[in-house]
Amino acid sequence: MIAWGPASRGPGPAAGPAPAPAALLEIEDLEVSFPQAEGIVRAVRGASLRVPAGGSLGLVGESGSGKSVTCMAALRLLREPPARLRARRLDLDGMAVLEADRRTLARMRGGVAAMVFQDPMTAFDPVFTIGYQIVETIRAHRRASRREAREEAEALLRRVEIRRPDAVADLYPHQLSGGMLQRAMIAMALSCRPRLLIADEPTTALDVTVQAQILHLIKALQDEFGMALVMVTHDLGVVAETCEHVTVMYGGRVMETAPVAQIFDDPRHPYTRALLASVPGRVPGRRRLTEIPGASPDPLDPPSGCPFHPRCALADARCAREMPTMTATGREARAACWRLP
Amino acid sequence: MLSFILRRLVSVAVTFFVVSVVIFVMMHSIPGGPFDAGDMPLPPAVRERMMAQYGLDQPLYVQYLRYMAGVLRFDFGVPFQSPGETVVSLLASAWVPSLVLGGLGVLIGAPLGILLGMAAALRRNSWVDYLASAVATLGLTVPVFVTSMLLILVFAVWLGWLPSSGWGEPRRWILPIAAYATIPMATYARYTRSAMLDTLNRPFVTVLRAKGLSERRIVFGHVLRNSALPMVTVFLPMFIGTATGSIFVEAMFRIPGLGSYFVSSIRTRDYPTEMALMLMLTVMFCLAYLISDILYAWLNPRIRTGGRRE
Repeated sequence: MIAWGPASRGPGPAAGPAPAPAALLEIEDLEVSFPQAEGIVRAVRGASLRVPAGGSLGLVGESGSGKSVTCMAALRLLREPPARLRARRLDLDGMAVLEADRRTLARMRGGVAAMVFQDPMTAFDPVFTIGYQIVETIRAHRRASRREAREEAEALLRRVEIRRPDAVADLYPHQLSGGMLQRAMIAMALSCRPRLLIADEPTTALDVTVQAQILHLIKALQDEFGMALVMVTHDLGVVAETCEHVTVMYGGRVMETAPVAQIFDDPRHPYTRALLASVPGRVPGRRRLTEIPGASPDPLDPPSGCPFHPRCALADARCAREMPTMTATGREARAACWRLP
Repeated sequence: MLSFILRRLVSVAVTFFVVSVVIFVMMHSIPGGPFDAGDMPLPPAVRERMMAQYGLDQPLYVQYLRYMAGVLRFDFGVPFQSPGETVVSLLASAWVPSLVLGGLGVLIGAPLGILLGMAAALRRNSWVDYLASAVATLGLTVPVFVTSMLLILVFAVWLGWLPSSGWGEPRRWILPIAAYATIPMATYARYTRSAMLDTLNRPFVTVLRAKGLSERRIVFGHVLRNSALPMVTVFLPMFIGTATGSIFVEAMFRIPGLGSYFVSSIRTRDYPTEMALMLMLTVMFCLAYLISDILYAWLNPRIRTGGRRE
């Protein structure tokens, strides 16, 4: 069984102290802030999430919700300073990421967890060939001759369905289309057999026709390589297609986390509901899309209590005062709301 | 690439022609001539004979065509200020100290500046950065004759370690080169810092980190190479600019370089020498830009491969 959510507060069977299997990525109470001249930007304010080995998590939220920053923090990719990280727990494959030294971090990055980024056009170094950049990644993690690494790189390019991988490996990033580059990016991410793939809005910058291909590719590779997957997105359609579990973030906090079926069939948190109502074709029998009134919270001056309360139809005085605690809403499902139905 | 170079060579020729006309006309439009020095006026008959001898009695376009015909045969005429030799031999001997001063100044200053700029960019907002920025700002804002004066005061007058002026044995080179090196150092420190910071903020650097490359490999294998792109374009032209010597440094340290001729040729209406100086500068700058452009294209695959997207 795959266990989702922090073991301590999970609604699992009451009988016995059966410890949840160690998760591959385990984040508890992560805080990320960026001190700036105008004040402290609190990008993530106590987010928790958990990804078991082989599982797939959709991390959903609008821009500024802290979803990307959470992922960057998991690999310590934010520049510190200015970024300040704090967490009760931030473990990747059993290792405390916040205490890791430079060398351990370098080994984990790419080796244990690899990342695919939003815009493939800017993700490659423009002055080196695609092949060079994949070979370099392979050789950073294991002993391999240039030739072995090159053969491996071509095999990977072939696996991500690039035709003529030998020729493509000798091309520079500007010579490839966005879709091709994102495939190459995925090949590079897979080159060291990571146990976790973090895909940070991997299709946002691509043409619609290419998006579905890339998603299917990622999904297929996840199964083939037995990796866990974190799919960061603002697109619930992407989540429905690729993930088993969903964590919804808003204003730097986790609003709701639940298996994907529950999120779509029985969303509990008012924000999740509003989010679903704003997606075309998700609510049967309703033609008009509903927009969420108001604007995203100002990260410099977040609202007190629940970050969503200024835009929430159900909010009362308590919501403005106190941040709701996570309450169980089902099997491996929890939501942070005082007004849960 | 070949057609690119050919096209650029044609534009060098055009530039050369335009500059030569402009300089020639400007010089001759300065009132007075080379042989009407105030303190020792020549008798009109002698003066006229001299003017005829150098062809100065001809219409301006004839003078220009004659001079340029000579230039094409690498004959830049006879300097009025020193009629015993040719312009070429005069400048050739004066060029040596300027080349040494400027060349060594850049070769010492530029690498120092690059190191300073790198350190500043990699340790952004630390004391290293502030120190480097302060040094760079001082180097750019304090005029080089003030720097020269300070160096002379400290090392020649107070400490008495080094001679205050002159050229000749290498011991005399140290102070002027040090004074001169502050300019390329400051320029390069600023260029390097901003180029490196630009590169460090680009998304691909985060990707390199996410791949698990070491910080050293990221900086030396990727960031430097990308930052070098904008830097090569300034290097050669700056090198030329300095190889002609700094008028101020040469004046402060009384170095018999080219610098003084730029001024004295205009004052004495020494048309052939001034023309030769300006034309050589023009050619060298044009070639320097041409070579930097070729280098830039060679370093940048987007230009080298013609920017085609599959």
